[in-house]
Amino acid sequence: MPLPPRGGPLAGIRVLAFTKVWAGPYAGKYLAHLGAEVIKVESMTNLDEMRAYGGVDINAAPYFLSINQEVLSVQVNMKTPEGLELVKKMVATSDVVIDNIRQGAMERSGLDYDSLKAIKPDIIQLSLKMWGTEGPLAYQTGYAPCFAALAGLNYLVGHEGEVPRGMNIRYGDSTAGAYAALAIVAALHHRESTGEGQFIDLSAVEAMTSLIGDSLLAWSVTGEVPQADGNYHAEMCPHGAYPCADGEWLSIAVDLEDEWAVLCGELGLETAPGHATLAGRQADRHAIDAAIAARTATRDASQLGEALRAASVPAFRSQSSIDLCSDDLMWSRGGYRMVTDHRTGSRPIIGPPWRMTPDEAQIERGAPLLGEHNDYVYGELLGLPPGDIADLKTRKVID
Amino acid sequence: MSALKGLVIIELAERVCGEYCGKLIADFGAEVIKVERPGGSPTRRMGPFKDGQPGPERSALFAYLNTNKKSVVLDPADSGDRAKLEALLARADALVDDHANPLFSPEDLSTRFPRLVHCLITPFGQGAPADYQQARSLNVINAGGWAYHSPSETPADKPPLKGAGRFLADYEAGIDAALCVLSSLLRQRRSGSGQFIDISEVEVQVNRVDTVLDRMLAGEQEPSKARTAYDMGGPATSFACADGYLYIFMTTKAHWKGLIALMGAPEWVQDFPEDWLEFHCTADRVALFRQHFALWAKDQHKHVVSVEGQKLGVTIVPVNSAADLPGNEQFQHRGFFQSLTHPVLGEALYPTAGYKLSATPVQLHSAAPALGQHNGEAV
Repeated sequence: MPLPPRGGPLAGIRVLAFTKVWAGPYAGKYLAHLGAEVIKVESMTNLDEMRAYGGVDINAAPYFLSINQEVLSVQVNMKTPEGLELVKKMVATSDVVIDNIRQGAMERSGLDYDSLKAIKPDIIQLSLKMWGTEGPLAYQTGYAPCFAALAGLNYLVGHEGEVPRGMNIRYGDSTAGAYAALAIVAALHHRESTGEGQFIDLSAVEAMTSLIGDSLLAWSVTGEVPQADGNYHAEMCPHGAYPCADGEWLSIAVDLEDEWAVLCGELGLETAPGHATLAGRQADRHAIDAAIAARTATRDASQLGEALRAASVPAFRSQSSIDLCSDDLMWSRGGYRMVTDHRTGSRPIIGPPWRMTPDEAQIERGAPLLGEHNDYVYGELLGLPPGDIADLKTRKVID
Repeated sequence: MSALKGLVIIELAERVCGEYCGKLIADFGAEVIKVERPGGSPTRRMGPFKDGQPGPERSALFAYLNTNKKSVVLDPADSGDRAKLEALLARADALVDDHANPLFSPEDLSTRFPRLVHCLITPFGQGAPADYQQARSLNVINAGGWAYHSPSETPADKPPLKGAGRFLADYEAGIDAALCVLSSLLRQRRSGSGQFIDISEVEVQVNRVDTVLDRMLAGEQEPSKARTAYDMGGPATSFACADGYLYIFMTTKAHWKGLIALMGAPEWVQDFPEDWLEFHCTADRVALFRQHFALWAKDQHKHVVSVEGQKLGVTIVPVNSAADLPGNEQFQHRGFFQSLTHPVLGEALYPTAGYKLSATPVQLHSAAPALGQHNGEAV
């Protein structure tokens, strides 16, 4: 049975995904959430670790369910020659192949770009690795916080005067995945206009480095090495997060003098004449931060934020996980939404951060059971009769 | 050869998120025409500046965000200029904007230019309360949760942080906006019609933490007010070393044994069970480990110890600064930095992109345009 159409700008694009953990699956998720048909190639002999974390049921693993909505799953044992042949038939019907598996694993399975190109001349293949697929450091391995450290990004994140501890340890994988999705769609344009496919070699480290591009160019132009600088901002003062009642924090970013005057008025701060200019405030910024903190400490973060915003001073509560989970705007805009779940009927997910009018892709199905789409892939796409599929299952080629 | 040859994008954006979106698209080879008001984009007035002297052509920020673009000055308050802008939109494939109060409403544009892909990036997305939409980058990264949880293990009395540089949340939103614009342009090639794309910067922030936060939304893990709610536990963190900082990540017995070998098996490791990372990773033990490791780390050189560690299966890496990157052998091998000459800023090293496309590599062919440099040509 063909799958029902979901719409979306990438409808009609088929992606074969050899992806694990977070960065690769995130790229697949984004393409699926834009309407592409993303088929995750899986096997009991080579499971995505995310199906194992946090429980024993590989079809109900929270980490896996949190990412792979609207992704399809096909089982194939790639350790068998027959399984590999089936994978190559899947490649022949696909537009894009993505992987973020161990360095050299695609090549060892005969799934390197030259081989894929022989099967499907206009294929687009993207590999996502810490340092890319080749080069003097390509042998090195690491995890997302290592990318962010190597990239120069974490060096810029820390409280002033302390060891730069970097962004939260979870930062990095998802961003690398988003860049991967972007590069793939750019390559689809090239294919559309020329008929030519290509290989995309994505370095997760360089993806992180891209996020501090302006700081790096600034270093090249001025010679000053940027440092971890807390919440310092050269063009705005005060600029920071200030303690409020009940352990909450309020972010306040003051640009011009009128905003400074409003902030002082709201907090009952004396406006020193020297503080009328940005330079004057910057010179005294630690004292200003302390004075603000002393006055915000007893205020409710949400109410103070609302009062400041009403007077045109950009301010917003620093949100904790419980704040985020109870954020009404996220629910009302579809930033959170429900999808189907095999076990419980439905599950909340984090929806895409975009809305499209018209023709937004439908996002209704939760993450797939292992092999949920075996019959679709083997029957519908590869044209195998039901008896052959049953035989492949018996012989654990479909496993 | 470039991936997006032939596509024409109009950029009315004036913030980092929209300008980065335009840059990503321009660097793939589309013709991106930046329409600036008289006086130019506000990012021209943000530093740092060449020789510390402000000026519309002296901003390193603007220079980075606007490579490969054209600049046209039009005054929307002037009816003649307004007509020129509309003529540009009539021949463009897409429009990138990032104003809470845009010149053109989505409805107006979709009626008048049904083929146009229109992307509008705002802090909280369409339909959000107007006062929310004043949010600046700092407010976005705080509203989206990453500030509250960065760095890992931040004590309760230390403020949440803005992230790397001034604009981390803008870069993230720019990626998703560019992804959506290019996806919608593929649809346009096939259907001949456009779409309105509404990007919420805060929702981008939230999406980036899907596998942590969604488990809380689904009730599989308790959300909380803890600053450590996104953390993983374990000893991974940054340490001061002889020539800067290094970062170590360890979760397995193999990592631990490799580290013991790397350190030359000091006596204190005997206080730790061999499988402590997997089965006995208590807060006390992490603290004790860090105390010992910090003493060892302070005499180490980050690049040396990283290479030695990799050989022993230890993920220990340098916390690189800006100055460490251009000389890094892997960055050099991949050609990540490209030298480009700007008439005022001179020759400088520009980061390119993390993706190497074999047929259509990203190339910086022209430095950021002078204000109105393409007035005669593009309009």
